[in-house]
Amino acid sequence: MNVFTANIRHQPWVWQVTSLCFVLGLLVTVSLQTVSSIRQSGAGTGRVGGPPLAMSSLSETVRKREKEISDLREKQTQLENTMAHGNDRLKTLNDELQKTKMLAGLTAVTGPGIILTLNDSARRPPSNRAFEQERYNIHDYDLQTVVNELGASGAEALSINGQRFISRTSIRCVGPTILVNAVPMTPPYHVQAIGDPITLAGALNLPGGYLDNLRQTDPGMFRLEKRALLSIPDYTGSTEVRYMRPADTEGSSRRRRR
Amino acid sequence: MRGWMPVAGLIAGVLLGVFGYPLLNISPEVASAYAPYLSLATLAGLDTVLGGIRAGIEGRFQDDIFVSGFLLNTLLAAGLAFVGDRIGVDLFLAAVVALGSRVFLNLSLIRRYGLTKIALNRRKDGSA
Repeated sequence: MNVFTANIRHQPWVWQVTSLCFVLGLLVTVSLQTVSSIRQSGAGTGRVGGPPLAMSSLSETVRKREKEISDLREKQTQLENTMAHGNDRLKTLNDELQKTKMLAGLTAVTGPGIILTLNDSARRPPSNRAFEQERYNIHDYDLQTVVNELGASGAEALSINGQRFISRTSIRCVGPTILVNAVPMTPPYHVQAIGDPITLAGALNLPGGYLDNLRQTDPGMFRLEKRALLSIPDYTGSTEVRYMRPADTEGSSRRRRR
Repeated sequence: MRGWMPVAGLIAGVLLGVFGYPLLNISPEVASAYAPYLSLATLAGLDTVLGGIRAGIEGRFQDDIFVSGFLLNTLLAAGLAFVGDRIGVDLFLAAVVALGSRVFLNLSLIRRYGLTKIALNRRKDGSA
Protein backbone atom coordinates (compact mmCIF):
# COMPACT_ATOMS: atom_id res chain seq x y z
CA MET A 1 0.00 0.00 0.00
CA ASN A 2 1.37 3.34 -0.97
CA VAL A 3 1.78 5.72 1.91
CA PHE A 4 0.46 8.67 -0.01
CA THR A 5 -2.61 7.15 -1.57
CA ALA A 6 -3.89 5.34 1.51
CA ASN A 7 -7.33 6.53 2.47
CA ILE A 8 -7.61 7.33 6.17
CA ARG A 9 -11.39 6.92 6.17
CA HIS A 10 -12.89 3.65 7.43
CA GLN A 11 -9.66 2.55 9.04
CA PRO A 12 -9.81 1.15 12.57
CA TRP A 13 -6.64 2.83 13.77
CA VAL A 14 -8.22 6.27 13.72
CA TRP A 15 -10.67 5.14 16.37
CA GLN A 16 -7.91 3.73 18.54
CA VAL A 17 -5.76 6.81 18.22
CA THR A 18 -8.82 8.89 19.05
CA SER A 19 -9.54 6.92 22.21
CA LEU A 20 -5.93 7.21 23.32
CA CYS A 21 -6.06 10.93 22.58
CA PHE A 22 -9.05 11.06 24.89
CA VAL A 23 -7.02 9.39 27.65
CA LEU A 24 -4.13 11.74 26.89
CA GLY A 25 -6.42 14.75 27.30
CA LEU A 26 -7.52 13.44 30.70
CA LEU A 27 -3.91 12.86 31.73
CA VAL A 28 -2.87 16.36 30.67
CA THR A 29 -5.72 17.94 32.61
CA VAL A 30 -5.10 15.99 35.80
CA SER A 31 -1.38 16.65 35.51
CA LEU A 32 -1.95 20.38 35.04
CA GLN A 33 -4.32 20.61 37.95
CA THR A 34 -1.99 18.66 40.22
CA VAL A 35 1.01 20.80 39.36
CA SER A 36 -0.92 24.05 39.78
CA SER A 37 -2.24 22.94 43.16
CA ILE A 38 1.31 22.02 44.21
CA ARG A 39 2.45 25.49 43.14
CA GLN A 40 -0.32 27.08 45.17
CA SER A 41 0.47 25.10 48.29
CA GLY A 42 4.14 25.91 47.79
CA ALA A 43 5.24 22.38 48.63
CA GLY A 44 7.61 22.09 45.67
CA THR A 45 7.88 22.42 41.92
CA GLY A 46 6.39 19.02 41.20
CA ARG A 47 9.54 17.73 39.57
CA VAL A 48 11.57 14.73 40.59
CA GLY A 49 14.49 16.05 42.59
CA GLY A 50 13.38 19.66 42.03
CA PRO A 51 14.32 22.31 44.59
CA PRO A 52 11.67 23.40 47.07
CA LEU A 53 9.97 26.71 46.47
CA ALA A 54 10.81 29.84 48.39
CA MET A 55 10.66 29.54 52.16
CA SER A 56 8.32 32.53 52.41
CA SER A 57 5.30 30.84 50.88
CA LEU A 58 5.85 27.81 53.12
CA SER A 59 5.94 29.84 56.29
CA GLU A 60 2.86 31.68 55.07
CA THR A 61 1.14 28.31 54.77
CA VAL A 62 2.29 27.37 58.28
CA ARG A 63 0.92 30.63 59.67
CA LYS A 64 -2.41 30.02 57.97
CA ARG A 65 -2.63 26.50 59.34
CA GLU A 66 -1.78 27.69 62.84
CA LYS A 67 -4.59 30.21 62.63
CA GLU A 68 -6.89 27.45 61.47
CA ILE A 69 -5.91 25.18 64.37
CA SER A 70 -6.46 28.02 66.81
CA ASP A 71 -9.90 28.77 65.37
CA LEU A 72 -10.91 25.12 65.43
CA ARG A 73 -9.85 24.72 69.07
CA GLU A 74 -11.86 27.82 69.99
CA LYS A 75 -14.88 26.45 68.18
CA GLN A 76 -14.48 23.16 70.03
CA THR A 77 -14.47 24.97 73.37
CA GLN A 78 -17.62 26.85 72.37
CA LEU A 79 -19.33 23.61 71.41
CA GLU A 80 -18.34 21.98 74.68
CA ASN A 81 -19.76 24.94 76.59
CA THR A 82 -22.98 24.81 74.57
CA MET A 83 -23.35 21.09 75.20
CA ALA A 84 -22.92 21.49 78.92
CA HIS A 85 -25.46 24.31 79.09
CA GLY A 86 -28.48 23.50 81.26
CA ASN A 87 -27.22 20.12 82.47
CA ASP A 88 -25.63 20.11 85.92
CA ARG A 89 -23.65 16.90 85.57
CA LEU A 90 -22.31 17.85 82.15
CA LYS A 91 -21.58 21.32 83.44
CA THR A 92 -19.38 19.95 86.24
CA LEU A 93 -17.52 17.77 83.75
CA ASN A 94 -17.14 20.64 81.29
CA ASP A 95 -15.80 23.02 83.94
CA GLU A 96 -13.16 20.44 84.78
CA LEU A 97 -12.40 19.94 81.08
CA GLN A 98 -12.04 23.66 80.40
CA LYS A 99 -9.70 24.04 83.37
CA THR A 100 -7.57 21.14 82.18
CA LYS A 101 -7.41 22.58 78.67
CA MET A 102 -6.39 25.94 80.09
CA LEU A 103 -3.63 24.27 82.10
CA ALA A 104 -2.50 22.27 79.07
CA GLY A 105 -2.30 25.47 77.02
CA LEU A 106 -5.03 24.57 74.53
CA THR A 107 -7.06 27.72 75.13
CA ALA A 108 -6.03 31.34 74.77
CA VAL A 109 -5.94 33.05 78.17
CA THR A 110 -5.89 36.60 79.54
CA GLY A 111 -4.89 38.08 82.86
CA PRO A 112 -2.44 40.39 84.58
CA GLY A 113 1.26 39.79 84.11
CA ILE A 114 4.51 41.02 82.65
CA ILE A 115 6.13 41.40 79.25
CA LEU A 116 9.89 41.00 79.10
CA THR A 117 11.49 42.04 75.84
CA LEU A 118 15.00 40.71 75.25
CA ASN A 119 17.19 41.91 72.43
CA ASP A 120 20.79 41.53 71.28
CA SER A 121 23.02 44.33 72.49
CA ALA A 122 23.76 47.20 70.15
CA ARG A 123 27.09 47.77 71.90
CA ARG A 124 30.40 46.47 70.67
CA PRO A 125 31.84 43.70 72.83
CA PRO A 126 34.94 44.93 74.65
CA SER A 127 37.11 42.14 73.26
CA ASN A 128 37.19 39.52 70.55
CA ARG A 129 37.17 36.64 72.96
CA ALA A 130 34.22 34.32 72.42
CA PHE A 131 33.05 34.20 76.03
CA GLU A 132 32.93 38.00 76.12
CA GLN A 133 31.05 38.31 72.84
CA GLU A 134 28.60 35.61 73.81
CA ARG A 135 27.21 37.74 76.62
CA TYR A 136 26.08 40.46 74.20
CA ASN A 137 23.58 38.19 72.41
CA ILE A 138 20.42 36.53 73.64
CA HIS A 139 20.73 32.75 73.53
CA ASP A 140 18.45 29.81 73.98
CA TYR A 141 19.68 29.37 77.55
CA ASP A 142 18.70 32.98 78.32
CA LEU A 143 15.13 32.20 77.38
CA GLN A 144 15.29 28.94 79.33
CA THR A 145 16.50 30.77 82.42
CA VAL A 146 13.78 33.42 82.13
CA VAL A 147 11.02 30.86 81.60
CA ASN A 148 12.33 28.80 84.51
CA GLU A 149 12.47 31.82 86.79
CA LEU A 150 8.96 32.91 85.83
CA GLY A 151 7.61 29.42 86.37
CA ALA A 152 9.25 29.26 89.79
CA SER A 153 7.59 32.52 90.78
CA GLY A 154 4.10 31.40 89.89
CA ALA A 155 3.52 32.29 86.25
CA GLU A 156 0.39 30.47 85.11
CA ALA A 157 0.80 30.92 81.36
CA LEU A 158 3.88 31.75 79.30
CA SER A 159 4.54 32.59 75.69
CA ILE A 160 7.60 33.57 73.69
CA ASN A 161 6.92 35.62 70.56
CA GLY A 162 3.39 34.29 70.47
CA GLN A 163 4.36 30.64 70.96
CA ARG A 164 2.61 29.23 74.01
CA PHE A 165 4.96 27.54 76.45
CA ILE A 166 3.48 24.17 77.40
CA SER A 167 4.81 21.01 79.01
CA ARG A 168 6.08 19.67 75.65
CA THR A 169 7.77 22.92 74.62
CA SER A 170 11.46 22.92 73.87
CA ILE A 171 13.69 25.97 73.50
CA ARG A 172 16.84 25.41 71.51
CA CYS A 173 19.34 27.21 69.39
CA VAL A 174 19.69 26.55 65.66
CA GLY A 175 22.18 28.81 63.94
CA PRO A 176 21.16 32.45 64.30
CA THR A 177 17.60 31.56 65.35
CA ILE A 178 15.99 30.08 68.43
CA LEU A 179 13.37 27.39 68.04
CA VAL A 180 10.41 27.50 70.41
CA ASN A 181 7.87 24.74 69.77
CA ALA A 182 10.04 24.04 66.68
CA VAL A 183 9.14 27.51 65.31
CA PRO A 184 12.23 29.55 64.45
CA MET A 185 12.38 33.10 65.80
CA THR A 186 14.86 35.97 65.89
CA PRO A 187 15.36 38.85 68.34
CA PRO A 188 13.66 40.73 69.85
CA TYR A 189 12.08 38.05 72.02
CA HIS A 190 8.87 39.01 73.80
CA VAL A 191 8.32 36.79 76.82
CA GLN A 192 4.80 37.16 78.18
CA ALA A 193 3.80 35.70 81.52
CA ILE A 194 0.45 35.74 83.32
CA GLY A 195 0.68 35.87 87.09
CA ASP A 196 1.10 38.43 89.85
CA PRO A 197 3.00 41.24 88.06
CA ILE A 198 4.86 42.39 91.17
CA THR A 199 6.02 38.88 92.12
CA LEU A 200 7.08 38.05 88.57
CA ALA A 201 8.99 41.31 88.07
CA GLY A 202 10.55 40.96 91.52
CA ALA A 203 11.76 37.43 90.80
CA LEU A 204 13.47 38.54 87.59
CA ASN A 205 15.01 41.53 89.33
CA LEU A 206 16.47 39.59 92.29
CA PRO A 207 19.99 40.81 93.20
CA GLY A 208 22.36 38.44 91.43
CA GLY A 209 19.44 37.17 89.36
CA TYR A 210 19.08 37.02 85.64
CA LEU A 211 18.26 40.64 84.84
CA ASP A 212 20.87 41.84 87.33
CA ASN A 213 23.54 40.01 85.34
CA LEU A 214 22.17 41.28 82.06
CA ARG A 215 22.13 44.85 83.36
CA GLN A 216 25.84 44.62 84.07
CA THR A 217 26.46 43.68 80.44
CA ASP A 218 24.10 46.16 78.82
CA PRO A 219 20.88 47.56 80.35
CA GLY A 220 19.57 48.16 76.83
CA MET A 221 19.22 44.43 76.20
CA PHE A 222 15.91 44.13 78.05
CA ARG A 223 12.71 46.00 78.82
CA LEU A 224 10.41 44.82 81.59
CA GLU A 225 6.78 45.98 81.64
CA LYS A 226 4.00 45.17 84.09
CA ARG A 227 0.57 44.89 82.54
CA ALA A 228 -2.86 44.82 84.14
CA LEU A 229 -4.19 42.77 81.25
CA LEU A 230 -2.40 40.78 78.60
CA SER A 231 -3.48 37.89 76.44
CA ILE A 232 -1.51 34.77 75.63
CA PRO A 233 -2.47 32.67 72.59
CA ASP A 234 -3.16 28.95 72.63
CA TYR A 235 -0.72 26.23 71.62
CA THR A 236 -1.05 25.56 67.88
CA GLY A 237 1.34 22.66 67.52
CA SER A 238 0.65 18.95 67.37
CA THR A 239 -1.15 17.28 70.27
CA GLU A 240 -0.52 13.80 68.96
CA VAL A 241 0.12 11.20 71.66
CA ARG A 242 1.95 8.08 70.58
CA TYR A 243 3.57 6.53 73.62
CA MET A 244 1.97 7.62 76.85
CA ARG A 245 -1.38 6.40 78.13
CA PRO A 246 -3.13 6.72 81.46
CA ALA A 247 -1.58 4.50 84.12
CA ASP A 248 -3.66 1.38 84.78
CA THR A 249 -5.25 2.42 88.09
CA GLU A 250 -7.17 -0.84 88.52
CA GLY A 251 -4.07 -2.96 88.11
CA SER A 252 -2.07 -0.92 90.58
CA SER A 253 -4.79 -1.16 93.24
CA ARG A 254 -4.91 -4.95 92.75
CA ARG A 255 -1.19 -5.10 93.28
CA ARG A 256 -1.52 -3.12 96.44
CA ARG A 257 -4.15 -5.50 97.78
CA ARG A 258 -1.92 -8.51 97.27
CA MET B 1 -10.59 12.91 5.89
CA ARG B 2 -10.88 12.01 9.50
CA GLY B 3 -7.76 13.70 10.71
CA TRP B 4 -9.82 15.80 13.08
CA MET B 5 -11.03 12.81 15.07
CA PRO B 6 -7.98 12.40 17.35
CA VAL B 7 -8.07 16.15 17.98
CA ALA B 8 -11.73 15.88 18.92
CA GLY B 9 -10.86 13.02 21.28
CA LEU B 10 -8.17 15.13 22.90
CA ILE B 11 -10.55 18.06 23.39
CA ALA B 12 -13.21 15.73 24.80
CA GLY B 13 -10.66 14.33 27.27
CA VAL B 14 -9.61 17.78 28.41
CA LEU B 15 -13.25 18.85 28.76
CA LEU B 16 -14.03 15.76 30.83
CA GLY B 17 -10.96 16.47 32.96
CA VAL B 18 -11.95 20.07 33.56
CA PHE B 19 -15.74 19.73 33.94
CA GLY B 20 -16.31 16.02 34.57
CA TYR B 21 -14.57 15.72 37.92
CA PRO B 22 -16.43 18.63 39.54
CA LEU B 23 -19.68 17.03 38.35
CA LEU B 24 -18.74 13.82 40.10
CA ASN B 25 -17.66 15.94 43.06
CA ILE B 26 -14.19 14.42 43.33
CA SER B 27 -10.84 16.12 43.08
CA PRO B 28 -8.66 14.87 40.23
CA GLU B 29 -5.48 15.85 42.02
CA VAL B 30 -2.82 13.24 42.52
CA ALA B 31 -0.68 13.21 45.66
CA SER B 32 2.17 15.63 45.07
CA ALA B 33 4.76 12.86 45.44
CA TYR B 34 3.38 11.16 42.31
CA ALA B 35 2.97 14.31 40.21
CA PRO B 36 6.26 13.76 38.28
CA TYR B 37 5.18 10.25 37.29
CA LEU B 38 1.92 11.61 35.97
CA SER B 39 3.78 14.13 33.84
CA LEU B 40 5.93 11.32 32.43
CA ALA B 41 2.82 9.28 31.71
CA THR B 42 1.46 12.26 29.79
CA LEU B 43 4.61 12.44 27.74
CA ALA B 44 4.50 8.69 27.04
CA GLY B 45 0.88 9.08 25.95
CA LEU B 46 1.77 11.88 23.57
CA ASP B 47 4.58 9.77 22.10
CA THR B 48 2.27 6.79 21.57
CA VAL B 49 -0.45 8.87 19.95
CA LEU B 50 1.94 10.44 17.45
CA GLY B 51 3.59 7.07 16.84
CA GLY B 52 0.18 5.56 16.19
CA ILE B 53 -0.77 8.28 13.70
CA ARG B 54 2.51 7.85 11.89
CA ALA B 55 2.12 4.07 11.73
CA GLY B 56 -1.45 4.51 10.53
CA ILE B 57 -0.38 6.82 7.70
CA GLU B 58 2.36 4.38 6.74
CA GLY B 59 -0.22 1.59 6.77
CA ARG B 60 1.50 -0.58 9.33
CA PHE B 61 -0.66 0.15 12.30
CA GLN B 62 -1.12 -2.78 14.70
CA ASP B 63 -3.45 -2.35 17.62
CA ASP B 64 -1.57 -4.70 19.96
CA ILE B 65 1.71 -2.84 19.42
CA PHE B 66 -0.12 0.45 19.90
CA VAL B 67 -1.71 -0.43 23.26
CA SER B 68 1.22 -2.41 24.69
CA GLY B 69 3.60 0.37 23.62
CA PHE B 70 1.62 2.92 25.57
CA LEU B 71 1.43 0.78 28.71
CA LEU B 72 5.07 -0.32 28.67
CA ASN B 73 6.43 3.14 27.87
CA THR B 74 4.46 4.64 30.72
CA LEU B 75 5.60 1.96 33.16
CA LEU B 76 9.24 2.19 32.07
CA ALA B 77 9.27 5.98 32.31
CA ALA B 78 7.70 5.93 35.76
CA GLY B 79 10.02 3.13 36.85
CA LEU B 80 13.08 5.07 35.67
CA ALA B 81 11.92 8.16 37.53
CA PHE B 82 11.30 6.10 40.66
CA VAL B 83 14.68 4.37 40.58
CA GLY B 84 16.44 7.64 39.73
CA ASP B 85 14.72 9.35 42.64
CA ARG B 86 15.95 6.58 44.96
CA ILE B 87 19.58 6.51 43.84
CA GLY B 88 19.88 10.28 43.40
CA VAL B 89 20.43 10.30 39.64
CA ASP B 90 17.97 12.19 37.47
CA LEU B 91 17.13 9.09 35.44
CA PHE B 92 13.75 10.51 34.50
CA LEU B 93 15.68 12.82 32.17
CA ALA B 94 16.51 9.73 30.09
CA ALA B 95 12.80 9.04 29.63
CA VAL B 96 12.08 12.71 28.90
CA VAL B 97 14.84 12.94 26.29
CA ALA B 98 14.02 9.62 24.61
CA LEU B 99 10.28 10.20 24.49
CA GLY B 100 10.70 13.86 23.58
CA SER B 101 12.98 13.14 20.61
CA ARG B 102 10.57 10.47 19.38
CA VAL B 103 7.70 12.91 19.61
CA PHE B 104 9.60 15.35 17.41
CA LEU B 105 10.64 12.62 14.95
CA ASN B 106 7.10 11.29 14.58
CA LEU B 107 5.67 14.78 14.25
CA SER B 108 8.15 15.67 11.51
CA LEU B 109 7.29 12.46 9.59
CA ILE B 110 3.56 13.09 9.91
CA ARG B 111 4.06 16.64 8.67
CA ARG B 112 6.09 15.38 5.73
CA TYR B 113 3.44 12.82 4.73
CA GLY B 114 0.71 15.42 5.05
CA LEU B 115 2.53 18.00 2.96
CA THR B 116 3.42 15.46 0.27
CA LYS B 117 -0.18 14.32 0.10
CA ILE B 118 -1.42 17.88 -0.32
CA ALA B 119 1.13 18.44 -3.06
CA LEU B 120 0.05 15.22 -4.84
CA ASN B 121 -3.63 16.17 -4.62
CA ARG B 122 -2.92 19.58 -6.04
CA ARG B 123 -1.02 18.09 -8.98
CA LYS B 124 -3.90 15.67 -9.60
CA ASP B 125 -6.40 18.54 -9.56
CA GLY B 126 -4.20 20.52 -11.92
CA SER B 127 -3.96 17.69 -14.44
CA ALA B 128 -7.71 16.95 -14.36
